Amino acid sequence: MPSSSPPLLVVLTCLPLAGALLLLALPSARTALLRLVALAATLATAGVAAIVWRDYGGEASAFEYAVPWFTLPGSGVEVQFKLGLDGLSFLMCVFTAFLMPIVMLSAYGHVGQRVKEFLVWMLVMETGMLGVFLSLDLVLFYFFWEISLVPLYFVLGIWGGERRLYATLKFFLYTLAGSLLMLVAVIWLVYAARTQGRITQASDLSELMAFAPTLPSTTQAWLFFAFAIAFAIKVPLLPFHTWLPDAHTEAPTAGSVVLAGVLLKMGTYGLLRFCIGLFPEPAARFAPLFMALGAIGIAYGALLAMAQNDIKRLIACSSVSHLGYVVLGLFALTDSGVRGGVLQMVNHGISTGLLFLLVGMVYERRHTRALDEFGGIAKAMPVFAVCFTIAVLSSVGLPGLNGFVGEYMILAGSFEASPLWAAVGTSGLVLGAVYLLSATRRLLLGPVLRRENAELGDLNAREIGLLVPLLVLVVWIGVRPADFLARCEPSLNALVERAQAARVNLASASDEARLLALSSEGDLR
Amino acid sequence: MSAAHQLAPEAIASQFRTLFDASAWSAVAPLAALSAGVVLCLITDLSRALAALRGPLVFAALAACAWFQVQLLLHPVGVVLRDSLHGDATSAAFGLLFVAGGLLAWLASHGYYKRDGQAPLAEHDALLLSAVAGMTLMSAANDLLVFFIGLELLSLPLYALSALRRSRAASVEAGLKYFLLGAFTSALFLFGCALIYCATGSIGLDTLRVLAAPGSLPMGELALLGSALIAASLLFKLNVFPFHVWVPDVYQGSPTPVTALMATGTKAAAFAFLLRASFLLPASASTTLALLALITLAIGNLGALVQEDFKRMLAYSGIAHAGTLLLAVAGALGGDPVANGATRAIVFYLAAYVFSAGGAFAVLAALEAGGERFTKLENLRGLWQRKPIAALALALFMLSLGGIPGAGGFWGKWFVFEVLVRADMTGWAIAGVLMSVLALAYYLRVIIALFMQPTPAGIVAPRFERPASLGASLVLCVGAVLLTGLLPGMLLGLLG
Repeated sequence: MPSSSPPLLVVLTCLPLAGALLLLALPSARTALLRLVALAATLATAGVAAIVWRDYGGEASAFEYAVPWFTLPGSGVEVQFKLGLDGLSFLMCVFTAFLMPIVMLSAYGHVGQRVKEFLVWMLVMETGMLGVFLSLDLVLFYFFWEISLVPLYFVLGIWGGERRLYATLKFFLYTLAGSLLMLVAVIWLVYAARTQGRITQASDLSELMAFAPTLPSTTQAWLFFAFAIAFAIKVPLLPFHTWLPDAHTEAPTAGSVVLAGVLLKMGTYGLLRFCIGLFPEPAARFAPLFMALGAIGIAYGALLAMAQNDIKRLIACSSVSHLGYVVLGLFALTDSGVRGGVLQMVNHGISTGLLFLLVGMVYERRHTRALDEFGGIAKAMPVFAVCFTIAVLSSVGLPGLNGFVGEYMILAGSFEASPLWAAVGTSGLVLGAVYLLSATRRLLLGPVLRRENAELGDLNAREIGLLVPLLVLVVWIGVRPADFLARCEPSLNALVERAQAARVNLASASDEARLLALSSEGDLR
Repeated sequence: MSAAHQLAPEAIASQFRTLFDASAWSAVAPLAALSAGVVLCLITDLSRALAALRGPLVFAALAACAWFQVQLLLHPVGVVLRDSLHGDATSAAFGLLFVAGGLLAWLASHGYYKRDGQAPLAEHDALLLSAVAGMTLMSAANDLLVFFIGLELLSLPLYALSALRRSRAASVEAGLKYFLLGAFTSALFLFGCALIYCATGSIGLDTLRVLAAPGSLPMGELALLGSALIAASLLFKLNVFPFHVWVPDVYQGSPTPVTALMATGTKAAAFAFLLRASFLLPASASTTLALLALITLAIGNLGALVQEDFKRMLAYSGIAHAGTLLLAVAGALGGDPVANGATRAIVFYLAAYVFSAGGAFAVLAALEAGGERFTKLENLRGLWQRKPIAALALALFMLSLGGIPGAGGFWGKWFVFEVLVRADMTGWAIAGVLMSVLALAYYLRVIIALFMQPTPAGIVAPRFERPASLGASLVLCVGAVLLTGLLPGMLLGLLG
């Protein structure tokens, strides 16, 4: 599609930033006005996203917009400011815009100090995240990727819990270390595309999709891992997960929701678009490794979650487990695995987002997150109890709710690729039920042992209002997943086909190598 | 040739005319503007009535110099004055950086010395302009001796400037240290020149380049020793390992505006000449340089990580940045740095660095002058509540120095690593990149102090002595950092 006017995606990406600039101009004492403006900015962004939702029909590249940006001095690559939407980014982009007004509403409850700064950072963060999902130029993508670290760093460090400074520094440095390896890979790849491939706009993703697979396979493997480590840290995949529980526990509710809902998905999105998209051959070759890490992550995250007493930390560990599913599905490299992975990205955002919001609401009332401080609060907070139970069931994967669809597709898809890791992954379903249901029991049910718990007030209209859209999505995706997935499928199918072709090539190449080795052994004899 | 012929006025005049043609004038004009400024500055000290003119005068000299440099940037004239001086886009770009560095140092000096009970000194402004002229000459030199003149024109004023707070022991100590080591370095450089002259019979870079074209200079060992001595003296000015030990003490002890000039200008000037003279070093020196660069990076970053003093931290961070730039020089070795983009990458990096570090020093100087007694990091705590704009700008400078996108430092880092990738030194690039994670740890610590920690007890909001000067510095630096960060193409386009 030629660049539409006005460029829809530019408006989508820049609206939150414009809101942030507007906020800067307003006096910081008038918090009510500030909150209203911020909410309006996110709602307007969501409105634009609604147009995207309505008009996107599954094209390989829609609403594309590109202007030249600058030329790299060493290689002469013409970098573009190029935004576009396809089936890979469609869901995450719309979901991000959908989630932010909810986050803004939730902040009424727990952000009382330095409100203006908070709102500005949240809006800047939204621009960064949308930029990551919509960039179709590798340099531009990296730009947004790294800049999106900064807002969360501030949100975590200023409005976080007791150990916030430690958590925020750890989060930033951990993620940055991975990103910088990717930076070298990006520079290398773009330079190679310019000199070897003679491509002028060598950072354009569509050009790179054609060029990258022509590189020697060892080179591809190096590049693949440089990208994969950056994304794996962000996801976080098993050995790189240690920053997440700290960040989640210390972050304010709004930060946790955005972190779980969107920021972590930047990692899985990166794995999908860049690792699998640019380097199908190493992706196919190392898929078993990533499936294994995903599956082990599912079980390990669940075990970690079982051991937690802090409910927020418990949900954070469950994130590690749930994102294991996404990675397992994506690297199954089968139709249903990848689709399930993409759907599960949104699902996890919804159910974990809900859980963080609900835990935040309880924390605002009780100022503790220790599970053994609670018990029986369902009596005092019936509406809360219902919402929490639905969120837990969605997270556990009850049929009819969203989590089931995603997890089922992932497990079915990964079973085709590797029965072993699918089986390990399935254990997460059981373990997930164990820790989430027992947490529900300890929180909601049983006798009321403390007076404070009996006096808790139930959710107010604002709180219910911000939960309802997510609860609707829980059921909608559970009942009609096709509304969400159908339009992603053309792009996802193309991606899977590339990876499958690479896998077939790989298999035949290794057969040939084996034959060659056999024949040479024969010669020797 | 008879003596009478030599002295004939018309002959001299005609020689002068052929030497100083229009293009020579346009190459010399920026230097002339600064020199005129130096002389006029000293004249204003003659009477109290003239003193008021000094401010506008310094500004006019810098502005005129900038204007001439822009003219050069747009209409380069090549090499002039018997192949001794460059008037090209590179020298003009460097020249503009020096004007910016000088301007920032000058703005930061307003009100800075007031707490010492010193009246604003005419010497200060004159020395400052002279230092800027020295840097300009260094970056434009196409001859070893011309460079040396520039070096001395820069160094002597800086020795004096760093000891300017005569009542403070640290300042005097800094001046003495800087002078002793600097004088030693100058001697090394001169001896290197002598050896090269002895080996080749020339000190002009153009001649030397022709002689070096086959691979190495004639009389290999002698010339190599000379090149090594010259390189060593440059590394001293660049704060590169093993010539970095003096840096933290001198930077910390010197008055902050002077530190700003040393950190930004001197480094840029030395890099400019290192790039021009890089052909003197054999291509095999690349590994050695890269290794030195990496050690410098490690020392700078690890040193900065443990500092409790912000000014000292900036000194160590400056060492680290020199390491990164030296990596780029190592990558450019064995080729023409202008043709392979290394010069543009380095100028871009330096531009981002000059405005980020210069801005940080400007804030620091204003805080010192405004009553924050020490430059301790803990005194920056909660600055956001006391001085929001200064804190915000400082945070931006830290992110830029750390190479976070949106700020110019990010692209500088990108371009430098691109030079390394181009030179097939990807392994070095990875090592350098991992170092910058370390760097970010201490830049983030500053931001943590500014925004995330409460103001310690007993600290009152500083009153900025000259808010207008600080404001001008911040507008300049924030503007430049954001512009290079968001639209890097503008600066790159100017560089050709």
